[in-house]
Amino acid sequence: MFCIRKLTTFISLILLILFISLLANCGKSTGIKPSRKVVIRFWNGFTGPDGRTILRLVKRFNRENPDVQVLMQRMDWGVYYNKLFVAGLGGRAPEVFIVHASSMERFIQAQVARPVDDLVRGANGIQESDFAENIWQAVEKDGRHYALPLDVHPIGMYYNKKLFREAGIVDEKGNPKPPTNREEFLDALTKITKDIDGDGKNDQWGYVFTWYRTNMYTFLLQWGGRIFTPDYQKCVLDSAENVEAVRFFTDLIHKKKVIPPPENFDSWIGFRQGKVGIAFEGIYMLEDLKRQKDLDYGAAPLPLLGKVPAAWADSHTICFKKDLSGEHLDAAWRFAKYLSDNSLDWADGGQIPARKSLMESERFKGMTAQWEFAKMIPYIRYIPRVPFALEFLGEFDTAAERGLRGNVSAETALSEAAANVNKIIKRQNEEQKRSKP
Amino acid sequence: MTRARYSNIFYGYLFLLPYLVLFCAFILLPLIYGLGLSLFQWEVLSNAPPRFIGLGNYREALGETYFWMALGATLRFVAMIVPSVVCGALLIALALNALPEKSGGFFKAAIFAPTIISISVAGILWRWFFSAEFGLFNAWLAPLGVKVPWITENRWAMKSVVLMTVWWTLGGPMVVLLAGLKQIPEQYYEAASIDGAGAIRRFFHITLPLLKPVLLFVIVMNIIGSFQVFGQTFMITRGGPELSTRVLVQYIYETAFASYRLGYGSAMSWLLFIVIAVFSILQFRLVRERE
Repeated sequence: MFCIRKLTTFISLILLILFISLLANCGKSTGIKPSRKVVIRFWNGFTGPDGRTILRLVKRFNRENPDVQVLMQRMDWGVYYNKLFVAGLGGRAPEVFIVHASSMERFIQAQVARPVDDLVRGANGIQESDFAENIWQAVEKDGRHYALPLDVHPIGMYYNKKLFREAGIVDEKGNPKPPTNREEFLDALTKITKDIDGDGKNDQWGYVFTWYRTNMYTFLLQWGGRIFTPDYQKCVLDSAENVEAVRFFTDLIHKKKVIPPPENFDSWIGFRQGKVGIAFEGIYMLEDLKRQKDLDYGAAPLPLLGKVPAAWADSHTICFKKDLSGEHLDAAWRFAKYLSDNSLDWADGGQIPARKSLMESERFKGMTAQWEFAKMIPYIRYIPRVPFALEFLGEFDTAAERGLRGNVSAETALSEAAANVNKIIKRQNEEQKRSKP
Repeated sequence: MTRARYSNIFYGYLFLLPYLVLFCAFILLPLIYGLGLSLFQWEVLSNAPPRFIGLGNYREALGETYFWMALGATLRFVAMIVPSVVCGALLIALALNALPEKSGGFFKAAIFAPTIISISVAGILWRWFFSAEFGLFNAWLAPLGVKVPWITENRWAMKSVVLMTVWWTLGGPMVVLLAGLKQIPEQYYEAASIDGAGAIRRFFHITLPLLKPVLLFVIVMNIIGSFQVFGQTFMITRGGPELSTRVLVQYIYETAFASYRLGYGSAMSWLLFIVIAVFSILQFRLVRERE
């Protein structure tokens, strides 16, 4: 009896010790040996094929710079932004991290990122004039630049050459001729859209809506619409130009029936299956198409469907932790500059480098789709940079979806969203006032 | 004797300790913290310090269209999924119970298998199945001349999510019900057969009454779980079309982690908690009265 009691005491003590040591161990990071190297943590959301490209660059940098150790951590973008923002608020942001230009505002406002002007103009800097003006502007606030733009990724036109040839949309030499304006676009829609299997319903389409957000944002701007007043104090999503743009497409979907009811991302599968003539998608989708050996596709700048050329775009930009100094700052900048200098390797996987000198290089001219899409850089447009970007985009997506689906009128969809966004602006302003005593 | 009892109590708590610590750290404390948070206006984006506003967040939620839309979507989901899963699981359990042990094992495994798949994988898979123009289901239906707008029409989308959820979650209740069926003594059925009772009468007069405790357990757990639906709608429809499938948990998630309105998000979580609590209390009352 006594013996058993003693045994149970012994076992429970061991369990307790194990448990406590387990808890104690949680706080420590494991596996990294301390060394005299400067450790730079680098976080990003590159979990697709782009992740492999960036990993190659990181490894190469670590080899070429024995005094620096870059530790990269990749997470899905959604998770990543939450984690990064919370870490940033707690002062535990990584030394170097990637932020989309469109998401930048809240990181600036929460003082997580550090201005880079001194680094860019420093001894080991980069010529500011080497950045395309609108790309460099996308990371600017109150005269300071808060990140080093790594790339720019606009949407552009992917078209199925086989379907174009079959529909007889070719130039004098018999090569497929992608549309450049509204007439040619509508002509392609009517010629390519048809019923293949003879069931009375169209199953081959001239164009499909893929991502509502990028496509509709582009169209609104092409029609000359605005989203906000210049001071960002009022949302004017329901302006006449915007309503007209949405109506143009609802007509094509619901009255003329030459565009299928929109299905957001999933319609991209249709393009890959060769059932769709045209899709307006990001340069980052190129990798998808390259793997599709049986698809004869081409890439071209977007046609001008409205009055003003415009194309949605975003940029991955390299940010630095607010309080970096000394050797950490030096190492972080060296790493960022290395990525920027080598961004042609990055571009190869479906991006356009942010630097003009690289865009003009022979190697870049060899990247067909990237080269075609880069022609749009003078008129690319970023999503309005407001601190409440995520809330705004939620409303924008809903408005685009409701407008295109046609259960409510374009005016209703847009004006309800505008009203909601204006409510957000009002709330933000009140909070902002309180934060400044 | 008393010493032994005290030491028993001591060891009881000792062995409970690991779970108790985790429960307190990750469930109880956040729960209480969230209750406090729900009384504050706290917008992380604005740099403004949290401000006490009493029940302001609750008032805002009850007056907001999005909140009611999300609650409505959640209720629609619960109302459809619980009968489907419980009836489906019961039917399959009955069928498997009738099969000989050997061949039943294969079907049991096959029906249980989807439960093991993570929601991200299952969600992506079913989004492809459901795609209207280019999806698998409509490709199968094409020869019949039918084209179902699975997740592109408001009136279909939630039903499609329910269909997927039935496939995904049927296994658990089925196994529990099957175990319940196996416990019903064979003699009752034999006696009933001798008295001339047919299969249907045997089901309603023997199986159902004896299965009731298990069945009620399955229903209660299913309702509680279904109120917290998130993964399926988030992966398959992203809350669309036109927010018709944006359930409450998704809206809370978006409020707290996309808009960073932590106070408001906490308040809505507590409202959901109240709804679930009310339903659970009603059910337990019902169970106790019947017993």
